[in-house]
Amino acid sequence: MTLTSKTSPVASPAPVGGLAQSRGTNPVLKLVSRIIDWPMAGLQRLIGERRMPYIFLLPNLVFFGLFVFVPIAINFVYSVTGGPALFPSERPYVGADQYAYLFECGSYVDPNSCREDHFWRGVYNTLFFSLFQVLAMVGLSLLTAVVLNMKIRGRGFFRAVYFFPVLLSPVVVALIWKWILQRDGLLNAAITGFGGDRILFLAEPGWAMFWAIFVSVWAHMGFYTLILLAGLQAIPADIYEAAEMDATPRWRVFWRLTLPLLWPNLIVVIVLSLIRAVQTFDEVFVLTGGGPGTSTLMVVQYIYETAFSNQVQNFGLAAAASVVLGIVLFALTLAQLAFTQRKSS
Amino acid sequence: MAELKLIDIKKSYGAATIIHGVDLAIEDGEFVVFVGPSGCGKSTLLRIIAGLEQVSGGEIRIDGQSVTNVPASDRGLAMVFQSYALYPHMSVYKNMAFALENMSLSRSEIDQRVRRAAQMLQLTDYLDRKPKALSGGQRQRVAIGRAIVRDPKIFLFDEPLSNLDAELRVATRKELAALHAEIGGTMIYVTHDQVEAMTLADRIVVLRAGRIEQVGTPLEVYNHPANLFVAGFIGSPRMNLLPARVAASGQVTIGNDTRTIPLPSTGQTASGASITLGARPEHIDVVDETQADLFITVNLVEQLGGETYLYGSAPGLPELTVRQDGQVRYDRNQKVGLRLKREALHLFDAGGQAIRIR
Repeated sequence: MTLTSKTSPVASPAPVGGLAQSRGTNPVLKLVSRIIDWPMAGLQRLIGERRMPYIFLLPNLVFFGLFVFVPIAINFVYSVTGGPALFPSERPYVGADQYAYLFECGSYVDPNSCREDHFWRGVYNTLFFSLFQVLAMVGLSLLTAVVLNMKIRGRGFFRAVYFFPVLLSPVVVALIWKWILQRDGLLNAAITGFGGDRILFLAEPGWAMFWAIFVSVWAHMGFYTLILLAGLQAIPADIYEAAEMDATPRWRVFWRLTLPLLWPNLIVVIVLSLIRAVQTFDEVFVLTGGGPGTSTLMVVQYIYETAFSNQVQNFGLAAAASVVLGIVLFALTLAQLAFTQRKSS
Repeated sequence: MAELKLIDIKKSYGAATIIHGVDLAIEDGEFVVFVGPSGCGKSTLLRIIAGLEQVSGGEIRIDGQSVTNVPASDRGLAMVFQSYALYPHMSVYKNMAFALENMSLSRSEIDQRVRRAAQMLQLTDYLDRKPKALSGGQRQRVAIGRAIVRDPKIFLFDEPLSNLDAELRVATRKELAALHAEIGGTMIYVTHDQVEAMTLADRIVVLRAGRIEQVGTPLEVYNHPANLFVAGFIGSPRMNLLPARVAASGQVTIGNDTRTIPLPSTGQTASGASITLGARPEHIDVVDETQADLFITVNLVEQLGGETYLYGSAPGLPELTVRQDGQVRYDRNQKVGLRLKREALHLFDAGGQAIRIR
């Protein structure tokens, strides 16, 4: 290779030939090697060997910065500026006014007392949704993983079946369930077919939230089941044999051995599913549109509608709400990193 | 403590039969070692006794009671695994107390038993540690402690020393022997290491391909191997097995040599029959030309300080190993005369079974 040391004659033909030789006898690779070898060697001479890794990282860093860091910065600029103008340079600086507006409440437990009541409804709906979605997600994923880890007939088939919804687009998932749950949908057809009364699954607030949670769990459970299944399979079989020799009842094996040994994976599942639940938008938006009323309106939908779909587009307020949401997600991500690092150590 | 009886035990996985009808009786308080090469079925047999594997045929009796269909948890046995199988998230104390908690013993009883075992195994200072903070030897002692506290009917050991380094293995082997002397339980121990088998066992069970080849005390098995397999397997370096022929009753010739070696007897074997003559390395002397039974050309000499091993070849014979006490010097390619100690030789018929000559 050319990138060996500062003292090596990097531009000399010998190392070039060495690289070309290391590519074997493939003439195309040989040619590519010869073409890229000399500019790289020149660059290395120019900036030094120690800086070369950054050159290799640069293309990815540029794209990552352009599409992640720059939008974050622009979003922050929007959150401290006001007015309807689109270009930041045309927007007047308003300081923390947008944040103050968002947090202006008579009582934080009563969204009706807040100036931006839809934001707070979104917050409470998201909190409610996240709490029950994560509880259901973790509980059902764990149960499914435990069952799929047993020696049952058709285990491979069931593992595939439970994972299959993960492969579907969230919009497709929501549309399928909407078709099932709507007023004249499949489920109501079955209920009325058995002589029951039609239920407005997506038009009654309680039912709508229940189905939003249900569909979200159904769509993503396979992924978390897979993480837990991997964790279960990583527990050595001889530990269970030792427990059997120790005459341990099955429930005690689960509580005292399986659950503690699976705990690092469970933490990852809890934090990841929590992060995802807080970000929920597409499935619920397509399924219920945030309704009936605002009963399934989530924070992300509030941000989207405030910025893009309301008659008066308030980019500043939406940006401020996204910064608040971003801080919450950042805290959750830090928690996840802390747990996973603890696991790996 | 308990006695164990295996009656015609068979084990198959699909079409593959792993254990072919094993019969064995183990006395109360006996230390029995299952030994054999990899794949001989020794671990499977131990797991069958433990109840971790179901038999395909036969019966297991503990103290006269059939336990063939009794689950592992109800057999009252304890097992020490090759991998230790400690509960990684529990302290040493909790690991040892876990089985006792399952037995719903009082806290004071549990504490008393755990501390007594810890003292016996020199683990008292490590009771609060997790297994990952222990050395391999300490982990193995915890695994043994976990078995001891339960006061089981039979202790089962599945190659418990194989993950330890050579020095620790010797030390732990001695501790195990001392432990058996102290608590006196019935112990069944699986190993492929014949030194462990020879040093620990009251009786050795030599297994090959799911069948028992010989059962006996270590010295019985060493001095009177029942067949060629046992003769070759037990003893290190292994016994020299030389093709031979019965010249006349009480006389054999080795290889293509015409020199006869007189023996006390050659049993019922007919004159002219092909047999195998076995001589352990320590039962061959280096002698001068006039006394020699055969001659070898030295290929290799290993000086171990207290003993010397000589490896040499002779035409028509497999390589021979000779053990000599002390430090003896030989040159490569040197021609050396060997004499076999008549009283310690072994004969095996064409089917590989031992011929009684003493």
